[in-house]
Amino acid sequence: MTEDFDRILDECIDRINRGDNLADCLSDYPAYSEKLRSLLQSMHDVQKTYIFTPSADSKRAARQKLHAALGKRRQVTPVLSFFKVISRPAVWATVAVLVLAIVGTLVIRPLFNPQTLISSPDGNFAFLISDEPNDIGDFESLNVTISRVELQAAGSVKRLEFTPKTKTVDLTQLQGEQSQEIWRGNVPAGQYSQVCIYVGEVKGKLESTGQTVDVKLPSNRLRISMPFEVTADAVTSFTFDITVVATGNNGKYILKPQIGESGARQEQKPLE
Amino acid sequence: MNIGNRENISTINEYETQLSGLYEEYYDKIARYVYVHIGNKEEAEDIAGEVFLKALKSLKSYREQGVPMQGWLFRIAHNLTVDYLRKMDKRRTVPIDSVALLGNDNPADTAEKNIEFERVVEAMNQLTTEQREVINLRFFGELTSKEVSSILGKRDGAVREMQRAAIEKLRAIMGVER
Repeated sequence: MTEDFDRILDECIDRINRGDNLADCLSDYPAYSEKLRSLLQSMHDVQKTYIFTPSADSKRAARQKLHAALGKRRQVTPVLSFFKVISRPAVWATVAVLVLAIVGTLVIRPLFNPQTLISSPDGNFAFLISDEPNDIGDFESLNVTISRVELQAAGSVKRLEFTPKTKTVDLTQLQGEQSQEIWRGNVPAGQYSQVCIYVGEVKGKLESTGQTVDVKLPSNRLRISMPFEVTADAVTSFTFDITVVATGNNGKYILKPQIGESGARQEQKPLE
Repeated sequence: MNIGNRENISTINEYETQLSGLYEEYYDKIARYVYVHIGNKEEAEDIAGEVFLKALKSLKSYREQGVPMQGWLFRIAHNLTVDYLRKMDKRRTVPIDSVALLGNDNPADTAEKNIEFERVVEAMNQLTTEQREVINLRFFGELTSKEVSSILGKRDGAVREMQRAAIEKLRAIMGVER
């Protein structure tokens, strides 16, 4: 019994870490709902207390240092190899240099820079935003500005990104079945495991007072881990559902990804 | 170059690729993990960067670890944190005065946050070292219990049990029914 509960609690913590919401976890385990609620609330309190998002500058500086160290390591190899094979024909040295140049260009650089995708009106991938109604009714408007969207290829470090054509969406206009396409273009066919949207600004205007409020987004990004496939001969439409929820009775709100309402569907491309 | 050496370099190259692939996802998590231990955001960011550089230098030893690379990164983070605390001779948890950084609200809100913060820090301090590590790795490192078990050298079930006991203790101390 206790072991079962330990597993369920563990699963709920994983789901919340992945962006799922508390209510979904509780509804899946009604028999443990009360106990889960109080324990997961404690988890939330602890996380909230130590909330901290490293600055973009620090992250960039650390990335550059890692990149430089990685590049340096790759350059050390040919020098050593050269001395080891110095007695061999010069052609081998040339090959080694060429290989390193190719590795540097094709492997190291792409590791740090996601591939940028180009928009196209007849592309095989459409990206849409929708809103699962939770506390959206409190808002007259809730404008979310999305600076970029990143797709993670499954089982690989490959990342692809695109800049939405429509950068700002008003979530009050996208409730329930409503959605808005913000980008369409060509995405390489394959399996994908994660979608992450980077949010620049969130401005909400309250229905009741007309006041403008900042809606919190702890890490300036919303992420959904969910496997989906993109094929060359069909149009894959991925809907990323965002929901706004009040954090209590303090008049504060946060944005969350709504994994249960998000996902991909495919339609055959029209014949040309 | 013999075949053994070639395979060696090929494996190391794979690890380098894997390590750089983990950077974007795990830098923030490692920084948060360190921050919970040392209570200084800037130092936590520096240590998080150092974790990746140290990992890169030590890739040869990674093979013997038998844990996922992200778990190995947290082991390095743990060691660097312990070194840092030893040097600084500081307490393990966040100093109370840093709560002022949590927001720019009015004095009443800040006072309320101070009380909340003290309550959570006090609760965290009452956990055992292992329980605190499980909570830190699960809540801030966002590792799975399986990954945590590989870091701590324990069974998955033992980690889940420790996790539940730790949260129950936190709940009892913090008094969630407030």
